Amino acid sequence: MRYKVLTVDDSKTVRIIVKKAFKSYDCEILEAGNGVEGLAVAGKERPDVILLDITMPVMDGVEMLTKIKSDPELKAIPIIMLTAEGGRDNVLKIAKIGVRDYIVKPFKEDLLIEKVGRIIDLKPIAEGPVKTKSILDPCTILVVEDKPTIVQQIQEGLKHTPWKIHGMSSTGEAIDFCSKNTPDLIMLSLSLPEEAGFTLFRLIRASVKTKYTPIFGLVVKTEVNVQQNAQQVGFSAIITKPIDIPELESKIAKAMNLDTSKRYFDTQGDFLMMKLPENCTAIVVNEVTNYLKPKVAEAVDSGIAKTIIDLKEVKSLNMNVIKLLLTTMQTCRELAIQFALVGNDAVSAECKSFEDTRNWTFYTSLDDAKASLSKGGATAPAGAA
Amino acid sequence: MPSIDSIGENIFQDTMNRAVQDVFRTMLGKNATLVHGTGATDSNGQPWKHPVEHDNSGLQVVSTVGFIGDISGLIYLYLNADFAKFVASNMLGMSLAEVEEGGDEVVNDAIGELTNMTVGGFKNQLCDQGFPCKLTIPSILRGSNFSIEPVSGATRRTYMFDVSGHRLITDLLMKNSD
Repeated sequence: MRYKVLTVDDSKTVRIIVKKAFKSYDCEILEAGNGVEGLAVAGKERPDVILLDITMPVMDGVEMLTKIKSDPELKAIPIIMLTAEGGRDNVLKIAKIGVRDYIVKPFKEDLLIEKVGRIIDLKPIAEGPVKTKSILDPCTILVVEDKPTIVQQIQEGLKHTPWKIHGMSSTGEAIDFCSKNTPDLIMLSLSLPEEAGFTLFRLIRASVKTKYTPIFGLVVKTEVNVQQNAQQVGFSAIITKPIDIPELESKIAKAMNLDTSKRYFDTQGDFLMMKLPENCTAIVVNEVTNYLKPKVAEAVDSGIAKTIIDLKEVKSLNMNVIKLLLTTMQTCRELAIQFALVGNDAVSAECKSFEDTRNWTFYTSLDDAKASLSKGGATAPAGAA
Repeated sequence: MPSIDSIGENIFQDTMNRAVQDVFRTMLGKNATLVHGTGATDSNGQPWKHPVEHDNSGLQVVSTVGFIGDISGLIYLYLNADFAKFVASNMLGMSLAEVEEGGDEVVNDAIGELTNMTVGGFKNQLCDQGFPCKLTIPSILRGSNFSIEPVSGATRRTYMFDVSGHRLITDLLMKNSD
């Protein structure tokens, strides 16, 4: 359901500013120029929030507010006064009639969003068609940690990614950073003094801008109680120290819903390239397995009929990797795709010791593998047997 | 009942300065610097002349909002036409070309709201000092070679501000409530 926000103000300028403020959020802005129009729109549209000015012609905001509060059908609609009429006594008098909040003009758009966001669940909308972010796209990651070594370790460990890691040592710095930037992911140390990590978590979640930002808790492996607390309050994931960087990278990609397929699959001319990394952990094998069929089907759909399986960087094989390679070959055969393997001496030697892989032959370079398929290589077992 | 005589000149000036600065900083992201302010009368004890009557800068956009209560008055904001467009453009996040396309109506509305917020900021401070009052609806005057005279018994104070090289004049006319 799309939320409706009604702005009642005789100034078109204010109505335009309000509309502009909510432009990036999934809600509909309704407008009225005075209290009479405001009541009519409220009755017809039943908005989720009303932003109400006071000084207006025909019917002022106080009269409209009073009428709404005496109407059983409308009285539950939350009302935020947005007016130049301030002064303590004035505000108190109007607040007593029943308003949810009171903003005195001049006002910042951020403040308006913040206050409305406390009443309705404002969700940001993507501009233009939604495009899934890829592992190769830049992202902003905020790490709030008072131990510089940990920040350094994360920065160093993830330096091969296009992600920008910003280290902040205090909650004040982090709040300041979030007011000027919108991080794609936040990591909070749960070892900060006075449970500052949890306090900051609540503040970040309360802000409309960062309400849906994934937040990881950084905690020492043995501090089980802290981990449980973090899970209960709703941290997106817990990262234990000492940090396992590949695991962290994988969790970040998952939390940000990044398309990681480009790490393993690519097209070069009329070849589909499948490349496995140096360390083929269970997470990697799982990811590649999930992408395999759609990627091969996509290649076939676009007219590609040759695949290179590149194991040149793989340090050693294990049963999971072998199973993955067998599945890949089987998928290629089913779709009549030619394939060739590229490997190093270690991988090649390891393959000799398994029954299923004994006959696999590896090219030592991508060019040789491509040339073999261009000559009309087979869909047979091991590419160039 | 409190009287405006109990409010010192520096309070009027500081209150106006805060109100103008707050509005320009918040709504336009611009600094307004107080260049000059007058007391209620000139050095001869005469009311100040109209703030723009000797100005040859052409078309003026003048906006006014009043406040009525234990203390009553009017504040006029004087902007030349270019400055008025500049304000509208910055408030609305539009280019000058878009503002011009929208015509006088867009500029008038933006300047009316600017005045509403400025006068609100001024009178809200007075409310908190024990002078409760309420705002009136803005009205706009456009033209050149005109003057606005206060009724007898009203005091006049004018303040000149610089905003990004443009001149803003606020003209405060006040009268004690009967």
